[in-house]
Amino acid sequence: MTGTDPLLRVAGLHAAYRSVKVLHGLDLEVRRGEVVVLLGANGAGKTTTLRALCGMVDTQGSVLLDGVELVGRSTEWIVRQGIAHVPQGRGIFGVLTVEENMRAGAWGRRDAKGVDADIERWYGVFPRLAERRRQRAGGMSGGEQQMLAVARALMARPKLLLLDEPSLGLAQIVTRGLFRQLEEINRDEGMSMLIVEQNAELALSFAHRGYVIESGHIVLGGQAADIRADEGMRRAYLGY
Amino acid sequence: MSPHIGNVSYLLSLLTTGLTSGALYAFVALAIVLVYKTTTHINLAQGEMAALGAFIVLALTRYGVNVWLALVISMALSFGLGAGIERGLIRPLERRGIFPVVLATLALFLVINAVMAIIWGTQPVPAPAPLPNGLDAKIDILAGPPPFFLTYRALGTYVILLAVLAGLWLLLERTKLGLGYRAVAANREAAQVLGIPVGRMQMLGWGIAAALGTVAAVLVAETVNTLDFNVMGSILIFGLAAATLGGFDSVPGAAVGGLVLGMIVTFVPGLFTVIEGDLGLIIALAVVLVVLLVRPQGFFGTKPLERV
Ligand SMILES: Nc1ncnc2c1ncn2[C@@H]1O[C@H](COP(=O)(O)OP(=O)(O)OP(=O)(O)O)[C@@H](O)[C@H]1O
Ligand SMILES: [Mg+2]
Repeated sequence: MTGTDPLLRVAGLHAAYRSVKVLHGLDLEVRRGEVVVLLGANGAGKTTTLRALCGMVDTQGSVLLDGVELVGRSTEWIVRQGIAHVPQGRGIFGVLTVEENMRAGAWGRRDAKGVDADIERWYGVFPRLAERRRQRAGGMSGGEQQMLAVARALMARPKLLLLDEPSLGLAQIVTRGLFRQLEEINRDEGMSMLIVEQNAELALSFAHRGYVIESGHIVLGGQAADIRADEGMRRAYLGY
Repeated sequence: MSPHIGNVSYLLSLLTTGLTSGALYAFVALAIVLVYKTTTHINLAQGEMAALGAFIVLALTRYGVNVWLALVISMALSFGLGAGIERGLIRPLERRGIFPVVLATLALFLVINAVMAIIWGTQPVPAPAPLPNGLDAKIDILAGPPPFFLTYRALGTYVILLAVLAGLWLLLERTKLGLGYRAVAANREAAQVLGIPVGRMQMLGWGIAAALGTVAAVLVAETVNTLDFNVMGSILIFGLAAATLGGFDSVPGAAVGGLVLGMIVTFVPGLFTVIEGDLGLIIALAVVLVVLLVRPQGFFGTKPLERV
């Protein structure tokens, strides 16, 4: 169930790579327990939005997580406040083992027992990872690596999970499996998620709400079902 | 051809000599690799920082401090200096690209070199000697001729190298700090989004490298019995060659690369007497080139494994 209580409230977010301005005053919200999808064409600024939330680009405006201002803080600090980010292209540590990747995800935690328990818990959700726990992560298939990236991010016990194109490079069937698992994690753990996705149809079928971003502006926001149902919106912004 | 080429005693002597100089190259290569792994920079001042560490050991022993204690204190100071240079000089420049960093380490090379010359003069001085160094500090094994013996200095060098490798392995593979260091080395941006303090891991690499460099410089100075401000001048090139041979981002690779290089520069002139002096270095570099042609990532280098 999703509440109406905003977990993440972004207002007037500007972001730039040095002098190149990419985001021009975004407003968006993720409520507690909600899955929100961010859609848009290549180069629209989706990745930059997620990076801005994590303090990885120069940012202005306001980003409140549980009422705490994140703008101007270091990535390290923001991660400790409860944001976990699965970057575009997964960012697996290829030369580390699967389990070392998981432990790296728990970097900020001090509860060794809880970390061990969480590792086993996510192995339960992603059994492929359990089988390969002692193997180098770089040798796994793309889908397995994406599962690892998600599990690793969850190891931080975040309040909000950011996912940047989790379906990138995956076969349809693998993508569907991954989204089913994300759906379960949202339902069972109440994990809030902000997902960037090219596969609009799939993402909208799973998300509660959606936003469309174009050239650094939010041009549309609403219930996922409404966006899906409105043929005009689909034609104009989503191209299907 | 050397007249001794079939002489076991002679060959064993070459082996221990090769291992001893190889161990020294290995220390320098380890220092270079530990900096490179998290920053992808090569610290051109690595040798000069090491020489400075050796001079600090010397200065402390002149105040009556035990030479081993002096070495430990100097390693700690070197660690601080290395970490401080990373934080204060390298990191602010890093954002501006690779060339400012290269220039900064070059400037550091010149400045430290000049400072040592000003403080301690340009004349060689007797080196601090933590390992037994007398003419009879050896174990005779074969009578020869030529006789084959193991010096305590050589044995001590091997033991220190093994201890350093074991310590590095424990730190990198068995501690949380080591996991963070390896994560940053494997994928810096991914480590950052997990909240791993990337900057502190870079400082760690620089710090350990500087401390290891100090060990290297003390051992190098002891080999030649004297310490002067250019003591590490040529060995940095061997260290770079050894690091390249090992794969540049591999800790075991640096150690193996150093030892193999030590063998090459000892055996080639030792077996083929026509080759003298600096030709050994040229042949060593030629061998490195050949290895890289066959295996561009060196012995243990990690070819990127990630699938996209
Ligand atoms: N590191 C960078 N430096 C400069 N400009 C950048 C950088 N990264 C992205 N940009 C620019 O910012 C704009 C938005 O890029 P962004 O990566 O956020 O797009 P995106 O919506 O994620 O696209 P895609 O669907 O291709 O991943 C693009 O015009 C891009 O060229
Ligand atoms: Mg993107």
